[in-house]
Amino acid sequence: MTEINLSWPKNYNEVPKEAFVRKDIYAEEVKRIFHGTEWHPVAHESELPNPGDFKTFRLAGVPLLIGRDVEGVVRVFYNACSHRGNQLETAIMGNKTEFECPYHRWLFDSKGDLVGCPNPREFLPGFNKADYPLAQPRFDIYFGLIFVTLSAETEPLLEYLGDSQNCLRELLAGDGRLKLLGYQKVRYDTNWKSYTDNDGYHAPLLHQAFKMLNWQGGKGRQYTATHRGHICFESALSVATGPSVLKDKSLIEFKGQDPAVGSRIVSLFPTFVSTKHLDVINLRFATPIDAETVEVHYAYFAHQDDDEDMVRHRLRQSSNLLGPCGLISMEDASVFHRIHIGNHTPGSAIFQKGVHDPLKLESEFLQNDESGNLPRWEYYRSVMGFERATV
Amino acid sequence: MMQTDTSLEAALNALLLADAHALDSKDMPGWLGNYADEEAAAYYCRSAENSEHGLALGFMYDDCRARLEDRVTFVNDIWAGTFQDYRTRHFVQLTSFDRVDATTLEMRSNFSVFMTPKDSGITQVLAAGQYLDTVRQDKNGELKLLSRRAELDTSVLPRYLVYPI
Repeated sequence: MTEINLSWPKNYNEVPKEAFVRKDIYAEEVKRIFHGTEWHPVAHESELPNPGDFKTFRLAGVPLLIGRDVEGVVRVFYNACSHRGNQLETAIMGNKTEFECPYHRWLFDSKGDLVGCPNPREFLPGFNKADYPLAQPRFDIYFGLIFVTLSAETEPLLEYLGDSQNCLRELLAGDGRLKLLGYQKVRYDTNWKSYTDNDGYHAPLLHQAFKMLNWQGGKGRQYTATHRGHICFESALSVATGPSVLKDKSLIEFKGQDPAVGSRIVSLFPTFVSTKHLDVINLRFATPIDAETVEVHYAYFAHQDDDEDMVRHRLRQSSNLLGPCGLISMEDASVFHRIHIGNHTPGSAIFQKGVHDPLKLESEFLQNDESGNLPRWEYYRSVMGFERATV
Repeated sequence: MMQTDTSLEAALNALLLADAHALDSKDMPGWLGNYADEEAAAYYCRSAENSEHGLALGFMYDDCRARLEDRVTFVNDIWAGTFQDYRTRHFVQLTSFDRVDATTLEMRSNFSVFMTPKDSGITQVLAAGQYLDTVRQDKNGELKLLSRRAELDTSVLPRYLVYPI
């Protein structure tokens, strides 16, 4: 680890804008956070429903191959040949029972074992294929959600999730038996922390849609679930009533089974955001590309028990409601860009709403409080080794 | 009115250009006006990657006339003033067309769309791909889009989308 100097304000509700834009800080974040003791969701099992299905994903640059072997077991590998390190699979997703590296024709089965390599007699004396399986990062699965950590020291996954477990399980439809509907993928011109830092408080102010659709908000609960500042939102769904400007009201119709807590968000440190809103189930696999760019794969799901009508409803709602072109979220995407530009100015971003005492951290918040982000900022500060000022 | 293939091709090209013009002018009523006045009129925008894997989810999924009309409301009313605006230039090239029946044609064309955000002034490619269109021909020979699927080779967008592609 490299010591990086950044003067952090005394008040918990202030975040120095330099943290969003300095390239030396970003390089250290990759080491301490993305390669450090965190669990990162990279896929849901339902993206790989059949034996041989696979998906590739790059986690802060590290290439991963996430596959279901011929016996149906989910496995995660580094997507690099165990010989010279050539990227093994180039497709984003597909179905294969064997992976062949084109460079020297090393062949791996779906369990990651090296099953063939030409002319091994010319290799080191004693060469044994069994010594060269595909390398694997640590991974674990929670209700189908596949997490990877690149550190041997990260605590077990359930401990990592802490009190966010229940909210996350319910968001995954209670049993994790999802069915993939498709993806919306986008790059935002913003630092990864600006991407995860901007939800909650702004909603009723930024989003004209809420007003025009007679949508009420702000009546839910927001809490931090661990010292890392994972955030859970649970709120009674406020379905729009009265006159609407929409001619096709099915976009904001709610057909689901969970009206008491119809809206959930689980945001896990560092970059994962997931939401269940109306009948949309959305997992956002995000990774930094560099200090100024974050790539987000919005994956949308139905439930395996949905009938045809419900799948169609979810498809129609998911495509048009959230994400980088969604009725109630397109403006968020624009704010990501603008806040990154604004962060190239001196001083701190200052959180106000829900802050009762700038010298104290709380863990329970109202739905639209921006102070819910402060525990994760305190965790970030401590992981990065930035000293908090005393005066 | 029967048309020769040459005049039909010219009419299809005119429809393609009318849509590009409406989009680049941010003329959403004009965009809507390029679609047939039928309940089934539809516009989809999705990645070829989704399509190739049998995934129907899109960036935009306007599968009926009401949703096309709502798309105009999103852009002109609901989102007004909340985003960094950008100019677009659509380049379209008809690649094939076939007559399905007396009132219906199918047409494919390539597209590339440049965007220039107003604040940065830097031009970049927003998306490339192909339009898969079903075209309605009325009694007067006039052509309108019955359905359009903008299938994007660009599976990772470089920016949020405000306007249809």
